[in-house]
Amino acid sequence: MDKLASLLHTTPAIVWMVGKVVVVFLSVFLLASVWTWVERRGSAMIQDRIGPNRAKLFGRWPILGLSQLLADGIKFFFKEDLVPEAANKGLFWLAPFLAFVPALMGFAVIPVGKSFVCDGVTYHLSVLDPGNGMGLLYPLAIGGLAVYGVLLAAWSSNNKWSILGGMRASATMVSYEIGISMAVVAIFMTSGGYDPSEVIKAQGHLPWTWYVVRQPLGFLVFFTCMFAETNRLPFDFAEGESEIVAGFNTEYGSMKFSLLALAEYSHLMTASALVATLYFGGWQVPFVADPPVLLSVASFLVKMLFFAWVFVWVRWTLPRFRYDQLMHLGWKIMLPLSMANLVFHAWRMSQGH
Amino acid sequence: MGVIVKKVELTWLDRTYVWPVLQGMSITFGHFIRNLFTSTAKRYTVQYPDMKREIPAGYRGLHELKRFEDGAIKCVACFMCQEACPARCISIEAEEFSDLNLSQGFQEKRPAKFSIDMLRCIYCGMCEEACPKDAIWLRKEYEVAAYDRLSMQFGKWNLMNTYAEADGKEQLTQDPTPSVPRRTIAM
Repeated sequence: MDKLASLLHTTPAIVWMVGKVVVVFLSVFLLASVWTWVERRGSAMIQDRIGPNRAKLFGRWPILGLSQLLADGIKFFFKEDLVPEAANKGLFWLAPFLAFVPALMGFAVIPVGKSFVCDGVTYHLSVLDPGNGMGLLYPLAIGGLAVYGVLLAAWSSNNKWSILGGMRASATMVSYEIGISMAVVAIFMTSGGYDPSEVIKAQGHLPWTWYVVRQPLGFLVFFTCMFAETNRLPFDFAEGESEIVAGFNTEYGSMKFSLLALAEYSHLMTASALVATLYFGGWQVPFVADPPVLLSVASFLVKMLFFAWVFVWVRWTLPRFRYDQLMHLGWKIMLPLSMANLVFHAWRMSQGH
Repeated sequence: MGVIVKKVELTWLDRTYVWPVLQGMSITFGHFIRNLFTSTAKRYTVQYPDMKREIPAGYRGLHELKRFEDGAIKCVACFMCQEACPARCISIEAEEFSDLNLSQGFQEKRPAKFSIDMLRCIYCGMCEEACPKDAIWLRKEYEVAAYDRLSMQFGKWNLMNTYAEADGKEQLTQDPTPSVPRRTIAM
């Protein structure tokens, strides 16, 4: 690393930082695009279909339909970029990025593996080192920003269906955020800090000390709210084929549409990373007290991808909720449940547990 | 009269919504696993250009003009099919043929031109029903497509050869000179 740094006329710290940023964000981006394939093939298998399998790389290798990804990407890049006449052009251009960037940014504080020491320097496997003062408040705050992407996309396209979808989605996100925050506060309380490394340390390496076992109610609330937060079925109110044409992305085409779709999947990745970190011990390997770094990274990836798969799995199991049912669930069930969870754990802590 | 809808009593477990969701997820996961370990060829989907369904008996596909053993056309140009055709896609031009016509007093007819406009044809099979000589069949070929309209006008020789390859017969381009009269009239 020193050699590379001297070649690039920078310090090792900067090289490490840039490397982390590139690797983490690029891999989340790639995972998100691969997950569109997982979603399509997985849904096909769940519904006894076959899914995309015709596109072939160089007309020869179908590689399980993965080349469909490339074909779609190329298609989106070369499509005409239409902007509606009556749209608010600036916001219309900005919205896909506003949707996409926060979805990726949330990943910055999540440690993907155990920190390690090399030549007396400690390297942390998260983009922002622990002790940055933001901790897990940061992904929650950034997650709140995702509302802007959806709402601006809907509003700027000057389409009634879009705005209906966008309004529904933003109302959903805003109301479910409270449930998320309450559930997470209980975790911060019991682990004694809001830094992800502290949360992970507090969970330990034994599966029954992870927060999913210690706070099952909190996990249930958090996970359910994450579906609303990422705009995934059964709570994907930004969209609605039957009632509002396509939803917030009705007027979008070409790469802007693709970015909006990718934003959803990046959000899904960030959400599943959050679930893995908060409730399933992050990079902790079950029954291994001091795992090697690579094993910890693998453990984190397995957990994250499992939850990303659960997001897909649930999407193809449940139908979309009705809007009033959703609000009922959010305000009258999720919020009281997360409050009860918080009060219960506060009481337990006051009893000296 | 109204229909009495049976009201489903939800149990406490159903009301939690979590247990039914888990049940549903187990069902979808079962499907997922089953399909994951089934090769694509064995799933419900028939992947059309690679796999084809078996065509049922009585299917009405592309027409064939039948021929005798020696290759002569069975059609006698009676115009029954043209009359029966609801889509008006058949057009026939008749001709007399064979030297025997003159020497032995036979009146043999055959189509000089027999064309079917495949773009108009509705594959109803009325021509097949109407034919007194069993000379036109609708068989199992269904991939009838072309790049231009003109090639969808099937002429006499196209129609006689539509199934030649499938049946292992030779492609015909002209009528054989008839040696024997097709039709014997009781004198």
